[in-house]
Amino acid sequence: MNRPNSKISPLVIAWLGLLVLTLVSLVLGNRFGHASWMPLPVAAIIWIKGTVVSSYFIESNGAHPLIAWIVRAFIAFVPAVLVLFALFGR
Amino acid sequence: MMMETSYFPQAPAKSVGRIPGSKGMWVGITCEFVEFTLMFLVYFVARFNYPEAFKKGPEAIWTTAGAINTVLMVTSSFFIACSVAAMRAGSMHRSWLWLITAIVTALGYPLMKFYEVGWNLAHGIHGSAGIFFTVYYYLTFNHLVHACWGILGMCWVLVRMSTHAYSAEQHDGLEALASYWHATDIIWLMIFPLFYVLA
Repeated sequence: MNRPNSKISPLVIAWLGLLVLTLVSLVLGNRFGHASWMPLPVAAIIWIKGTVVSSYFIESNGAHPLIAWIVRAFIAFVPAVLVLFALFGR
Repeated sequence: MMMETSYFPQAPAKSVGRIPGSKGMWVGITCEFVEFTLMFLVYFVARFNYPEAFKKGPEAIWTTAGAINTVLMVTSSFFIACSVAAMRAGSMHRSWLWLITAIVTALGYPLMKFYEVGWNLAHGIHGSAGIFFTVYYYLTFNHLVHACWGILGMCWVLVRMSTHAYSAEQHDGLEALASYWHATDIIWLMIFPLFYVLA
């Protein structure tokens, strides 16, 4: 079981990562907003951001398995449907 | 008479993991996830049936407002995580300061939403302006309500912290509220690209 974190530095790295990913998604949307493949990188960014928040802020990796699975399932839902849209959407 | 003895080796204790905050809060967070899963389903059904409306919609709304709200949500989430980390390290005063910073940053979210709705209405974007905007208001207003609950919760935790209700060993209330705010942050991180990025 992971010990709860009491250091600020991993949180700073996670926060900066989230800001960079937000910037990347804005640039992607601005340049390729209408491209048919756009749901794929957007799905990847949503999943990575959700995983960063759940791992570093909620610390779901050391949480009760049921909590970890609920968070994981929720984070995967929207990206999974976006991938389906990219493959089969109109 | 011989006593029959049997030896049952004890299974090693299973690591079940900790509950960040409290069980009650995680029941609430699960309900929040279920609620938003249904709302995202509404979004996807609408997007599937009206692809043109969802292609043009993001061009009409104020992307900068969405980006600022994302920065505010992510940053307040970071500050409250720092507050929990400082409390664990035994620094009550630093934890209190991080929490104040989280509240001030989080308050920027409803304020920015207020300006965004004003901008929308000035540009003729109201709830019945089309299917995209109906779903956009439906999801973002629901998220705003959840965020307002979170901000009220932060204020309550601040009062409790000011009366020394928490310590390095026992701060379940702070951690429960932090978990709720992080969950609300995750939901916004999904709403933002669906409405402001993906055309």
